[in-house]
Amino acid sequence: MSVFNREAAVRLILLRLARLGAELGKPALAQADEQTRLFGEASHLDSIGLVTLMSDLEEDIHRACGVRIVIADERAMSRLTSPFRRVGLLADHLVELVAAAQA
Amino acid sequence: MRIALVTGTSRGLGRALAESLLGDGWTVHGFARGPQALAHPAFRAHAVDVGDEAAVQAAVAAVLETSGRVDLLVNNAGAASMNSLLLTPAKKAEMLMRVNYLGAFHCLQAVGKAMVRQRAGTIVNLTSVAVPLALSGEAAYVASKAAVEALTKVAANELQPHGVRVVAVGLGPVDTDLTRAVGRDQLAALNVRIGRPSGTTLAEAVGFVAEEWGGAPSSTGTVRYLARLG
Repeated sequence: MSVFNREAAVRLILLRLARLGAELGKPALAQADEQTRLFGEASHLDSIGLVTLMSDLEEDIHRACGVRIVIADERAMSRLTSPFRRVGLLADHLVELVAAAQA
Repeated sequence: MRIALVTGTSRGLGRALAESLLGDGWTVHGFARGPQALAHPAFRAHAVDVGDEAAVQAAVAAVLETSGRVDLLVNNAGAASMNSLLLTPAKKAEMLMRVNYLGAFHCLQAVGKAMVRQRAGTIVNLTSVAVPLALSGEAAYVASKAAVEALTKVAANELQPHGVRVVAVGLGPVDTDLTRAVGRDQLAALNVRIGRPSGTTLAEAVGFVAEEWGGAPSSTGTVRYLARLG
């Protein structure tokens, strides 16, 4: 069972954002970092892009860690600070989900 | 190799749809609660209660492990019940909503994610002529199928940009186990009302649903009925 830490999560998200940026014609996504906004006016992703990102990440994590997770779970939706706001917050959320799935 | 996932394949229309797809060269994953008798080299049976979200997610994950993708989802699994609205037990209404609406919702969500990743796919939801006819004696059933139609339209809007087409097809009474419990006179009257006095055979129903396998992308969000309404 592979270790999925925060660094790995950030790397995965940034890689996926860069690919998505190439696909959507938004090269700025290739320059994303932990502070990059994932939704809202300051984001380069629209709702379709965000759905694509989450869906692709679920599959990436399955390939990397061998576990199936649902990123938009009850816990994520009920948090005061949405894990979908910034790359860093999403990375924290992914690490939690993978740890829970591997436990 | 085209991959289909059909729910409710243990008997009736679901099994007939699976057999039709297998005959056309598809690999078919069939979801059903109980045992499945369909035997074909390209058929994979999964024991799943579509009303159980976790079970659906696990089963869809198993499908993706085996086949890698899903090109077609047919949300066929369903339950029916006839009763006067004021005499319908709440538990019955809850069961119909769970199987007919939530079952489709869970499968659509789990498979929809895979189709978004693929940037392609078709989802066909089964509804009923009972919805536009607002049939008396079927309040809970009609409400659950109306929810499926609404879900179809919203899902079509949300998934169209990802290359995924979502449609619904509505049938009248088809000669299956589901309708054999209904009185002959009642069925005959309904068949006359929808312009199909001879009724609808299983083969006709399969043919109507199968028209959606290769439907045009522009048809997404539509609800077609095998009936003459109005």
